[in-house]
Amino acid sequence: MPVPEKMHAPADMAECAANWTPVPLLEEIKEHGRVWGDLAEQYGVTNPDPPWKTSLDGMCEVLASGSCSSMAAAEKRWLAGDVARDAMDAPLPLLERRWEEDELSATLYQDVPFPERQLLALTHSLIKRGLVDPEVLKARMKEIHERLAAT
Amino acid sequence: MSHDHDHNAPAPLVDEISDFEALEIAVREICIEKGLFSAEDHRKFTEFAEHIGPTPAARMVAKAWLDPEYKKLVMTDAIAASKAVGVDYLNPTGFGTPSDYTDLRVLEDTPSVHHVVVCTLCSCYPRPILGFQPEWYRTPNYRRRLVRWPRQVLAEFGLTLPAEVDVRVEDSNQKCRFIVMPVRPAGTEGWTEDQLTEIVTRDCLIGVALPKPGVTSNLELRVHHAAKPAHH
Amino acid sequence: MSQHDRTHHAKIATGKGDPQCFAGTAGGPPMFKVGDRVRIKDMPDIFYTRCQVYTRGAVGVVAVVTHESPAPEDEAWGHVDKSEWFYIVRFKQTDLWPEYPAAFANDTLQTEFSERWLEAV
Repeated sequence: MPVPEKMHAPADMAECAANWTPVPLLEEIKEHGRVWGDLAEQYGVTNPDPPWKTSLDGMCEVLASGSCSSMAAAEKRWLAGDVARDAMDAPLPLLERRWEEDELSATLYQDVPFPERQLLALTHSLIKRGLVDPEVLKARMKEIHERLAAT
Repeated sequence: MSHDHDHNAPAPLVDEISDFEALEIAVREICIEKGLFSAEDHRKFTEFAEHIGPTPAARMVAKAWLDPEYKKLVMTDAIAASKAVGVDYLNPTGFGTPSDYTDLRVLEDTPSVHHVVVCTLCSCYPRPILGFQPEWYRTPNYRRRLVRWPRQVLAEFGLTLPAEVDVRVEDSNQKCRFIVMPVRPAGTEGWTEDQLTEIVTRDCLIGVALPKPGVTSNLELRVHHAAKPAHH
Repeated sequence: MSQHDRTHHAKIATGKGDPQCFAGTAGGPPMFKVGDRVRIKDMPDIFYTRCQVYTRGAVGVVAVVTHESPAPEDEAWGHVDKSEWFYIVRFKQTDLWPEYPAAFANDTLQTEFSERWLEAV
């Protein structure tokens, strides 16, 4: 069966997609992090989704929201070079995030189950845009592990 | 040895914090500190996500099958009709969400037309009334192929339609969101709303399955575990 | 940081929903009605679009007039009073894909466009 044309993404998004470099911190999480499927099986928990799934979805939504009524007006202004990235109303509009998630799911994170894959892709997108610093993230994760493990 | 379920035992819990759980918290906290969003706004959108229950849309279809007046409302103002099945699109954000908007449309199947829904651009889906989209719905495999080879893709879901039934693909690429109202199947005469609701599965509402008496859930695809499990 | 009022959308859409908050803002009635034959314009696509490549140049029939909303490709910089009418247009699959089997000549596909993408046939 012939491969259908790639779903239409703007030219410079396609360029971005070609330049995915691994983020060491995320590679480490990919290698050593325990996915929900394994945890649920080990502990005998039947919830199909991990406890952080709805918070992740809330985060994806809130990052896509902003003062723009049109979902893509902000994206368009960015792509046209009319506004700098940090002047965009929505920090991470839906389509950008999903296109990148698709690319990352086919490349760097192809062996990661869903929704861990969605979380890694979101983080990667934020890091790529300079919105999250991996060093800060790494330190924060350590602090969170300590905070949550404290009795 | 007895394996009777101990009703006093607490439900099992996952007793460890995975790196993914810590990552989600860390990303969120950093974003809030940077002012990308407020904790309050995140809370509202998360509440929205948590209120998304399994298929109120199934009950909407069952009610429409039984009540011609309600069916008219479903076909003309599905957002208003959603309230009757407990879904208020405007709550809690007051305006819907960037993914969901507030223009829901119901595609009525007939004996000669079968609808199926896709979002080729990303994976838009009527979540408030249908729950979260299945993983396969989000994949390029489904999104790219359904528009061009719909009958082949439907056959992969086990649904083969005769040539006399026209297949109509709905590519939801803008703000409208869609669910399919299947034809009420034979063998359901005299059924209650609850009985009918049970057989209208999520996959029937997307259009990749047909409701059948006795079939009350669509088999969940097995989780595709990592080829190199992360914890080894 | 951004000069824009981050609460603008919430102010106009709260209680009404989006796209309902744009009702009446297209500045006139829809150009097309249900049953009209339309062609999808193949406009220069330098920038972002939601108009799929696979529909460009195709001729279809307006199936539904849906709502008014700012077009995703809109030039407006947060001018939310600039909207267009949107339409669900239905195509024969045999018109969209060269290899679509003639045995299923009645199969169709429909998808949504803002008015700027449509021209009368």
